[in-house]
Amino acid sequence: MRYSVLFIVIALIAAACIAGCTQQQAQQQSQATGGEIKIGVIASLTGPASNVGKNMWQSAQVAGDEINAQGGVQLGASGTKVPVRLIVGDDESTQQGGQKAATKLITDDKVDILVGGYSSAVTSAYQQTIAEYKVPYIVTGASSPVITHRTDIDTSYVFHHCPTTDSYGEYTITFIDQVVRPAVNKKLGASDDRPFRLAIIYQDTAYGKGVQTAVQNTIAKNNLNIVLVSEQGYRMGESDFRTPLTVIKAQNPDAVYLAAFPNEGAPIITQARRDIGLDTIFLNVENNDNAQFYKDLGQYGEGAIIESRFSPYTAPEGELATAQENFKNSYFAKWGMYPDMMGASTYEGIYIAAEAIGKAGTTDKASVRQALVDLNMPEVIEAMKGGKISFTKDYRESQFDLWMEQLAYDQSAGECRPHIVWPDNLKVTGFTLPSWYKPGSA
Amino acid sequence: MVDIGILLQILFWGIYAGCIYILLATGLNLIFGVMKIVNFAHGEFLMIGAYITATIFLISGINPYVIILLAMLALIGIGAVVERLCFRPILGSGKLNEIFLSIELIYIFQNGAAMVWGDEWQSVKSPYEGIAVPFGSLNLPLDYIIIMVVTAAILAALFIFLQKTRIGREMRATSQNRKGAMLVGINVERMDVLSFGIGCALAAAAGTLWVVSGQVFNPYMGSIPAVKAFAIIILGGLGSIPGAIIGGLLYGIAENAAAYFLGGVWKDAISFIILIVVLVFRPTGLFGESGE
Repeated sequence: MRYSVLFIVIALIAAACIAGCTQQQAQQQSQATGGEIKIGVIASLTGPASNVGKNMWQSAQVAGDEINAQGGVQLGASGTKVPVRLIVGDDESTQQGGQKAATKLITDDKVDILVGGYSSAVTSAYQQTIAEYKVPYIVTGASSPVITHRTDIDTSYVFHHCPTTDSYGEYTITFIDQVVRPAVNKKLGASDDRPFRLAIIYQDTAYGKGVQTAVQNTIAKNNLNIVLVSEQGYRMGESDFRTPLTVIKAQNPDAVYLAAFPNEGAPIITQARRDIGLDTIFLNVENNDNAQFYKDLGQYGEGAIIESRFSPYTAPEGELATAQENFKNSYFAKWGMYPDMMGASTYEGIYIAAEAIGKAGTTDKASVRQALVDLNMPEVIEAMKGGKISFTKDYRESQFDLWMEQLAYDQSAGECRPHIVWPDNLKVTGFTLPSWYKPGSA
Repeated sequence: MVDIGILLQILFWGIYAGCIYILLATGLNLIFGVMKIVNFAHGEFLMIGAYITATIFLISGINPYVIILLAMLALIGIGAVVERLCFRPILGSGKLNEIFLSIELIYIFQNGAAMVWGDEWQSVKSPYEGIAVPFGSLNLPLDYIIIMVVTAAILAALFIFLQKTRIGREMRATSQNRKGAMLVGINVERMDVLSFGIGCALAAAAGTLWVVSGQVFNPYMGSIPAVKAFAIIILGGLGSIPGAIIGGLLYGIAENAAAYFLGGVWKDAISFIILIVVLVFRPTGLFGESGE
């Protein structure tokens, strides 16, 4: 009996000691993080890219609210939960603005990790600062592969959570080759050896040139029967595209591929169809899957194609459809509008940051970087290769599953709405050439 | 072999772009001619004109080419207030004060517009969109022809006002010699308000035409056109209305020609290359007089 009592007393003392140690460890962890985890979000709140930038920042806040509603980020397997605090840096859609925003977030706000970045040109401009201070940075918008491939500075703390221009350039050209080209040949009654006449209009920045290069490389690498009949560059933020479109029309293209931001893409298509009479298929990069883009396009968007991975107005069927719907509903409830694709990847970026800090059990930047290198978390709202978010070992790029949408005019909405037409396992309808479509001719 | 049809089309787009520049630069030059002030916030009046037109159009559905008159009247009022409250107190106190004041006005107008209208890109559709007028081998959209006619009408009205009315002559006199105008009894402060108001109204007209041509706009849209308007008035000659008209047209055509022959990325650069070349050979600009 006496031994039993003694055993229970010893056990209680041991349990108290363990609990005390755990509590002390949790307190130390909490103190080490300053009682909160500071996540800096770099977004274009002003300037030409403000539409997308605001969407990114607002999406980040939805993620932050959700994480804090769950008590915050759990540091380590048995650690305490610490809330996250998001701090925004406005890059003003300019390189100078980006430099200011990154410097302020790192040196004044002393953020633990960075998420965001939209324009590749702007993001590249402040990467030196990221390298100097060694702050983990999850880039969720800037799509030029240069962001993590460049060798002039240390990019080891930069992680790319969005498809690169290489990915969607290759994906879109494959779609053209396998779907659009046969459809055009069928309409013309032409044989399969008729070269497909493709024109490109691109923003003259790292992003636009990246898409242009990816298109050229994909055609050359796969020896595709696609010929580039016109390649027209323009300055970022341009609003008058009538002259380059006149040049493109003179080359009689079968389709036009746009490497543009939404505030440029909508005017390009509108001016082409309304003012130039260029009645062709316009293929758009994924960042144009944006509610404002649909609004600005009006009926002129009919028949256009968007390569996508998240849309405000559609989703592939499956488990992720519910997750996407929940995100859209949460976003709409908070902001009264729908999120766009860059918002979706930024929303995920916050979850990735939280996961990495949680796994590292600390906000020590080198440890968080290592946690990002080792990351293998379930996909959140966007379809990832293998259903997991992880970064490639060479250039720290996550791998997305993409799809192609075709726009159809919706009378009740007064705008176009997207329908997934490719690949076969995701499509809800087939690609069609609009009745007004005019194929090119040599 | 260059296609004549394409060249004519490019020329057409150049004249359209020139119309916007002409109205903006003429207003800027009118203000500079009379008050000798440098207003870098002039592009913001274009932006406000664009928003006023779009707002009235979306609410009322009135033809936007009619709204241009309302936008111009509104900007005469806004311009008069800005002149009276902001520029008059610092008039003659040095160019640096004018420059800093106008830069501050840029931020105030941009952020004010963002608060009122939001900073999303917007666009409206003209009631005439989709209507084209055949012209030889070309199909010219009706909106752009109307824009050119409206620009010509506004410039003709301005010409008659400056040449044939008493106030117009007083304004020209103030522009030529402010002290002399005061000596002969002209109320130069009244001329300042009028010229500033009319200059802003011309910017509003440019904003309206920008909107009806289907171009996107947001609160930050005015900065680049304002820089070009400055280049145009330097090219044409400071204070010279004909210089602003010729310069604006030249810029519009040159930009589009550069986009065609050299590529779109040269569009802005060509304007400033022309400016440098002209200033090397004629430092007072095409129509400027020495001493201005």
